[in-house]
Amino acid sequence: MAWSRKSAMFAALAVAMYLLGLVLRNQQLVTVAVVLLSFLTYAAFRTTHADVASSGRRMNDTNSDAGVALQSIVAMRKLSQARVFEDGEIDVVLRIQNRSTLSKVLEVRDRVPEVMRIKKGANYVLMELGGRKETEISYTIESPLRGFYTVGPVCVRVQDAFGLFHNEREIQLYDDFLVFPKMEDIKDALIKSRVPKIFTGAVNIRNPGEGSNFYNLREYIPGDPMKKVNWKAWARSGKMMVNEYERDAVSDIILIIDSRAVSETGPVSRNSLVYSTRAAASLAQYFLSRRDSVGLVTYGDEIVSVDRDTGKKQLYVLLTKLAGAMAKGNTPLKVVTNRILPHINRGSPIILLSPLEDDPTVIDAVRDLRARNFDVTILSPSSLEFEFDARRLDRTGYEVLKTERDILIGELRGLGANVMDWEPDMMLVTALAGARGF
Amino acid sequence: MADDINVEGASDTSHLYDGKTVRSSAPSRKKAAGRIKSSTEIPKDAIPEVHVPSWIESFFGGPIVSSMKFLPANKTVTNLQISSAMCLTLLTALTLLFTPVSGTAWFALANMLNIPILGGAIHILIMVIGSVGGAYGIFQRDQRALLVSYVAMILVTLRFAGSKVEFGFDVLPEAEVLQKILLIAYALFLVMYFELTNGIIRFSMLDTSIRTGEVYVMGEGKIIRQYYREIGITPVVAGIVALLTLLINLIIPAMVGLFDDVQANRLSESVELTSVYGVALGTAMVFTVIAAAFAVNLPLRIQQMQEGRADK
Repeated sequence: MAWSRKSAMFAALAVAMYLLGLVLRNQQLVTVAVVLLSFLTYAAFRTTHADVASSGRRMNDTNSDAGVALQSIVAMRKLSQARVFEDGEIDVVLRIQNRSTLSKVLEVRDRVPEVMRIKKGANYVLMELGGRKETEISYTIESPLRGFYTVGPVCVRVQDAFGLFHNEREIQLYDDFLVFPKMEDIKDALIKSRVPKIFTGAVNIRNPGEGSNFYNLREYIPGDPMKKVNWKAWARSGKMMVNEYERDAVSDIILIIDSRAVSETGPVSRNSLVYSTRAAASLAQYFLSRRDSVGLVTYGDEIVSVDRDTGKKQLYVLLTKLAGAMAKGNTPLKVVTNRILPHINRGSPIILLSPLEDDPTVIDAVRDLRARNFDVTILSPSSLEFEFDARRLDRTGYEVLKTERDILIGELRGLGANVMDWEPDMMLVTALAGARGF
Repeated sequence: MADDINVEGASDTSHLYDGKTVRSSAPSRKKAAGRIKSSTEIPKDAIPEVHVPSWIESFFGGPIVSSMKFLPANKTVTNLQISSAMCLTLLTALTLLFTPVSGTAWFALANMLNIPILGGAIHILIMVIGSVGGAYGIFQRDQRALLVSYVAMILVTLRFAGSKVEFGFDVLPEAEVLQKILLIAYALFLVMYFELTNGIIRFSMLDTSIRTGEVYVMGEGKIIRQYYREIGITPVVAGIVALLTLLINLIIPAMVGLFDDVQANRLSESVELTSVYGVALGTAMVFTVIAAAFAVNLPLRIQQMQEGRADK
């Protein structure tokens, strides 16, 4: 049983009066003190016990005491979905059962992650729950930021009528859900591989082979199918000519996300990592819908990679990794490129999403990639802008750092990388087009 | 060509940065670092909107503290306001009866200054602060005014410490039991005043929280009825317990009298038992029994028993 501030002050006053009364041999003071003490004692006696138990997953309330042993209050929770995109909504239904025959006045708070917003209903309910009755509390939460989240535990508090004492228990009932980064619709990323692959895909690359787009005319070689013969060209040139087509092929796309601690510079909802994960999710969806295989590398305190693959399943694998990307550590980009270069096909497009800050190896790493003929696109959400917008950077500091950043971006462009200084208000499609020089 | 460039100074580089004027001195992180605001201020959108109750709010409100000012009073709050006002009136009347100025610190001070009327004026002033502040706090639902009123009332109560004079007016009964009952009534009104005014703030907070959607209440009527029931029963029980404690000098001789009249007579004439130490003994006895009840977790056992009986 816990004391409230009010009861503590009442008790202190009563004890002080009582002792003063004894010292001064004054019955009147003692009388007032005794009344106060009696009032407190009776209120404490009347405080119902928050006897609760839980049903559902992760029931690990091992600190069983007499209250829990009664098992009269049971909570069960149901989420409308376990996976949602940023700004998506989840309906939560919490069922509370009173298995006792006595009615109880309970305060129930279903703990929701702090970043979540309660959009409809309330997760805090004061209720009178009759004996052997149950009730349902429903509310809707809005999830503004990606990540792994947990709803729970359920806090049950039983108070005396005057708010002097309370008993509180936590029902260890948890439900996890995942918030994927928000995706932007991309019409064309203007990125394709320069290297053909065995399987044909939806993207044509500038090599002759099986495909649908016209590439060239050449003389007939025995074995060429007759449907490829270009009769007009034969008539014009007098030689038997056949059409050659541009080869459709699957591209290997590698997305590299900088999730070092520095990438979270700026406000919680507007920082480089938030922008990078959203961009990566959008790009992954776009490339996978084109039947490309997409791989993902995130680096922060460690290098986490998802091998290239195609299909919808791969999209969810990537989205899950992106949802869990945490800003930690300071692994240099060079370490990442050294690690992954042996495993990716030459000429594959590499998209780096990084604020390009606090990493002296960026230029070396990009030089290495370009030397091996990788098509490097860098989208760099500018943390300077986030900081400046949040008024944490003064004008002079901003200008100086911006100049340094411009010089770095200029150097990277000089190495042949497509770099875009991605400002906060710029849409991903615009940033991509800017990076590719459109 | 040179005319096209807006030259503001020798170091101007605006032509290099799409018209932006940028200082052309060597970029230096050290220099910049000196100028960058080192504020560790957390951006606004990083802080979830959580209302942290102030000290006074937590004293009055308990766990449910609304994040905005009270909305107009509902029926429960109005009822509590009327009850509190009545309680305050009675408490003020009893205070006036029970607490003469004699024996107070301000009485001694006034005598020292040779202005006897000053003591009485201060005494009345404290009571006026207590009652007027209380009335203002009750009807305006002002927590600070209520706290001031509490302090004034407690200050007047502490006057008891200053004198053996029992009451302020001669019209009051001389009998010990009646005096004790009156004193208990005074103390109960004091406690009830605290509790009812507290209830005004708590229920105002609750009502505001309900109407703003911060909290949802199921069975509001039953919860309020339970509060009314408790506020009726608790002071009565507290009064009975206090009376038992204070009348221990009569109860013990009566119990001993069942076995030995002489000893009972001796006990009833005992100076110790009729003095404040008798009350202390009574308090010790009664509260030892209560402590034992808590030690064996009696409230929980009673609850278990009630549940068990209801299950059958």
